[in-house]
Amino acid sequence: MQRGRPEQFVSSVTKPDDFNAFWDQVQAELDDISLEPAMRHVPERSTAEVDVYEIHYTSLHSLRIAGWYCTPKPDYPVSPYPGLAILPGYVSEPTLPKSWAKLGYAAVGVAPRGKLRSNGQYNPGYPGLLVDRIVDEQTYGYRGFYADALRAIDFMFTRPEIDPSRIGVHGGSQGGALSLVTAALRPDVVRCGALAAPYLTGFMDAAALTHSYPYEEMNEYFRTYPERIDQVRKVVSYFDCLNFAPKITAPLLIYVGLADDICPPETAFNLRERLTCDVTFRAHAGCGHEAGVYWELPKVEAFLADHLRPAAPARLMTDGLEEVS
Amino acid sequence: MSADLAQEIDQWWERLDDDLCPLEATPEFEHDALRSHDLFDTYRVRMTSLDRYIIAAWLSVPKGDGPFPAAMYTPTYMSVVNPAPYEFRIRAITMNVISRGQRGADRPYAAAFPGHLTVGIDDPDRYIFRGVVADTIRAWEVLRNHPQVDTDRMAMIGTDLALLVNARRADAKAVHVTGSFWYRMKEIAAGTEAYPFEEINDHLRMWPNQEEAVARTLAHFDPQYQAERITARVLLNRDQASPTGNDAWFAPLASRLATGPTFLDMTHRGQTDYDAMDAWLSNELGMPAYPRSWTPQDLGAWSV
Repeated sequence: MQRGRPEQFVSSVTKPDDFNAFWDQVQAELDDISLEPAMRHVPERSTAEVDVYEIHYTSLHSLRIAGWYCTPKPDYPVSPYPGLAILPGYVSEPTLPKSWAKLGYAAVGVAPRGKLRSNGQYNPGYPGLLVDRIVDEQTYGYRGFYADALRAIDFMFTRPEIDPSRIGVHGGSQGGALSLVTAALRPDVVRCGALAAPYLTGFMDAAALTHSYPYEEMNEYFRTYPERIDQVRKVVSYFDCLNFAPKITAPLLIYVGLADDICPPETAFNLRERLTCDVTFRAHAGCGHEAGVYWELPKVEAFLADHLRPAAPARLMTDGLEEVS
Repeated sequence: MSADLAQEIDQWWERLDDDLCPLEATPEFEHDALRSHDLFDTYRVRMTSLDRYIIAAWLSVPKGDGPFPAAMYTPTYMSVVNPAPYEFRIRAITMNVISRGQRGADRPYAAAFPGHLTVGIDDPDRYIFRGVVADTIRAWEVLRNHPQVDTDRMAMIGTDLALLVNARRADAKAVHVTGSFWYRMKEIAAGTEAYPFEEINDHLRMWPNQEEAVARTLAHFDPQYQAERITARVLLNRDQASPTGNDAWFAPLASRLATGPTFLDMTHRGQTDYDAMDAWLSNELGMPAYPRSWTPQDLGAWSV
């Protein structure tokens, strides 16, 4: 199958005039809601090096949001630690970031609304989240979902063992999108981001380029409600990472697969064009949505360490991995 | 493995069948217009499984009269189950099993992730995955009985859970095992801190006195001890650089498979590997391959 060169793909995404006002309003709503952070130690998941906590905090619409929080044991090494938000993919449950804690980070694995343990009041289902009330930017599911990710950054700010000047974000796919959103809306806090195959980037273009879920949810929706395409185009423009891109100041590492059927690489190239921050961008031939993680993981680890400077006793996650040949 | 344990495992599987078979599946097929397409229809399926637990599945049927080749995707270790990839749904009947605990089959039991893997793990009769295996067998039976399925062209795709199903229901022509899960699981867990296998380590840190019981339970699910019963042609993903994916790792399983496995050597370029898998499975099922990769992939300085 032949396809155009992704770096030449012209995005159809435009930015609403009131984009910043929209997100200022979300922030104003969040400012009126007490975070009410809570932590419960989980001894059965803790190890000799890492303490594991189940956390909860309050987000938009007063929903209680869950997550995992992993810290090095107090003497492994000593605090303060850099903070790292691990943001989840679309269908995966939030990771329990013990391996990052073992590297010296205080790491939060976020479970935004709809994920298990955060789905008591909001549960659009999967498939379902991507198009949940997609007809109105004020009711679209991702309005609260993005807010929940922002609140995870705010949670880290409440922790005395975290150095607030060393907070980073990391994730792939939807986690990549949330990394971009949190970096854009917390520009004074997020110091760096490492992300793979960013989702929620060029929504409409991506849906037109693929039959794979989750974007296929939009194609299904348009087959059912073809008259709503323009309405949806307007709504998703408030949530499109292409429109968050110019607000990001933190350095980013981005890696993508050039044969990614889930998040088409064209949209990642469009993202790169719109970013004005320092970006390291690598595209892996023959790779799909895994985006070359086999080679990238050690580079992610090095990138985050360069910017966040954990006092790690040992490298963990590079065993058996090879460099790109 | 001792002769006593081998006998215990054989009897355990026989009892599972004895408990499952008397229960009628009584599947219900609800057409899902939103997830259907010009080229295929999609159904949400509900059916009765072991312990009268109601499980579910996504079923996709190409437009037309059939019979069609069919593929079942065995449950992954996730809460979410999506319909099969588009490229498969336009060529074959596909079923994606939603086993107990997963979204769509999470009443009364909602699985926790992490946590699901160790529920009742100290006793093979109480272990949650006794039910999950039965759910997968039950879904396979429902798929096999679908009137538009060509029963001579059926396959499974998934972890080595698919091998366990084939050991009990011999109708699959081909099985693509995407990765080791049940095969030598305790050894995998011992060599990693990554979830979900870390759940085993968490459990044994908390209850170290269960070490032997856990090993005994996991042996019931290890496909190497069911290998002589496996009749399908098997494709295994191989990575000679990985201690849990090289020839030595697979030797105990491969040597016992009646047909001998075919190996797919991983390039770690996911779409390239997917297309190789699709070519193998399409050939086994007698349908045209449908590669997902496209050109160009070499973008000069842009690509690595």
